[in-house]
Amino acid sequence: MTKYMKYVDVTKCDGCRACMVACKNWNDLPADPQDFQGSVQSHPKVSADTWNVMQYIEHENGKGDLEYLFRHSACFHCTDAACEKVCPENAISYTKYGTVVIDHDKCVGCGYCVQNCPFEVISLKEYVDKNGDKYRKSQKCTMCTDRLEEGLQPACVTTCHTGSLEFGEETAMLKKAEQRVQEIKGRFPNAQVYNPQGVGGTHTIYVLAEKPSVYGLPENPKVPTSAVVWKDYAQPIGKMMLGATTMALVGAFVTNNIISRKNKDQDGGQGHE
Amino acid sequence: MIKSVVSKEYQELQKQIVQLQEHWKQTIDPETIRPSIDQAAIAAGVPIVSLTAIDFDISLFLQWIEELNVTLITNNPELEPNLAAVRSVLTDETVIRWIEEAYSFNQTYFEKFSEEHGLEQWIPPFLAETALRPYLQLTAEKTQHAISHAMPGAGCPVCGEPVRLAVLEAEGKKVVHCPRCHAHWNGRRLECSHCGNTDHEKIHFLTIEGDPVSQIQVCGECNGYIKIIDTRQYIEKPSAALMDLNSIHLDYVAQEQGYSSVGEKKQTN
Repeated sequence: MTKYMKYVDVTKCDGCRACMVACKNWNDLPADPQDFQGSVQSHPKVSADTWNVMQYIEHENGKGDLEYLFRHSACFHCTDAACEKVCPENAISYTKYGTVVIDHDKCVGCGYCVQNCPFEVISLKEYVDKNGDKYRKSQKCTMCTDRLEEGLQPACVTTCHTGSLEFGEETAMLKKAEQRVQEIKGRFPNAQVYNPQGVGGTHTIYVLAEKPSVYGLPENPKVPTSAVVWKDYAQPIGKMMLGATTMALVGAFVTNNIISRKNKDQDGGQGHE
Repeated sequence: MIKSVVSKEYQELQKQIVQLQEHWKQTIDPETIRPSIDQAAIAAGVPIVSLTAIDFDISLFLQWIEELNVTLITNNPELEPNLAAVRSVLTDETVIRWIEEAYSFNQTYFEKFSEEHGLEQWIPPFLAETALRPYLQLTAEKTQHAISHAMPGAGCPVCGEPVRLAVLEAEGKKVVHCPRCHAHWNGRRLECSHCGNTDHEKIHFLTIEGDPVSQIQVCGECNGYIKIIDTRQYIEKPSAALMDLNSIHLDYVAQEQGYSSVGEKKQTN
């Protein structure tokens, strides 16, 4: 199976926000009205109903100039995804395309994924069922996995008019990113490819004009140790312990029965005599 | 399009045929095709192939039909006796006649031929058309540089096939593709390829719910339709021949709505 990757070249972006609209449109997400943030940026960050947000950053570039930086922000679809590791219900999984998706039938809304995502791109949404009871489910960008299954590009990529977003085969996208960084080094000396290895690389890679921290991104994100401990050790051991307890219970039941029967036999025996 | 009304097996068979045709095309000596590009003739709607001298290699043509038969039989062994019957009646003269008649879509000839030789109706035209296409495709390849547009109503400027498929490319450019000879040319977004109507009030689009890439452009003037596929959305661009096959549901929808694949001017007294 060919692995795909979303390529985001922030230096080509003109901040038109068509990607946000295309995402809402394709995924049928409701409007998410916000108060004025003191900036042209519409939402502070992604939310359960807004899976991608255009970031607007006024950055002093060190030469006394202000650079107006844009970034299309959404789920990174990590190769080693912390959300997948911490999910106690195995509701989060990898698809054959390398994307990370949530199975809403399995999600119980515990929020572990929200707390452990190094990029803060998962959010909980509250729903009310027909009995008036509240329940929660995790929500995030799916990289339009439903479109990928039809051989189509993600909605945001399809709509991007500047060529800032592209979708294609992994190695081709990585090569493109490296080349682009070389092209823009003159104007943006801190330009770099953002494909953090602490999470095994991501399926959305960025060509950033500045250091990741300028965009509020972690310089070296990692899968939290607690997540690794949870998924790789605690959960399997937990299951083993469940096994052990069950065995103990079954064992106890069997032994108790045999003993009591023996006792009964003994009682009976005594009666006959 | 991964979801299609066409069965996986048939799609696979068509893919194999397209590959065969591609392979056959490579074996044709390009010098045997000598097109004459006459802009006046193109403007009058004369397809380029009709002014092209092609030296058909009859033995090659027979060999292709043989290879095609093998592919068909591998896919459906029940066809063996029918196809064997064709083999026995195919002489050099018949082949020449087949080529000529396939050129001009002479359905009546093939119907008669099938009847005379007791063959299933679909077999002779199918074999003739499939084996003719590599020549048409090479002609289109050699003349593509000279084709930028087509005369409305004249069909494909290379092979004359009625127009039925267009794609949307980068910047929303509409490019009309011929699934028969693979020629392509530019079309106005709001122009009927059949009658040339550009009145936006009389051009409508039918879309299928849940299908984000396809639309049917229909013309209120001539009642014709073409299928338009937005290939900008695809990760990998499909070939025109397979796109035409996989979008066959659009033909059904358009025709059920009373539109025709060949537009006709309404006659008024």
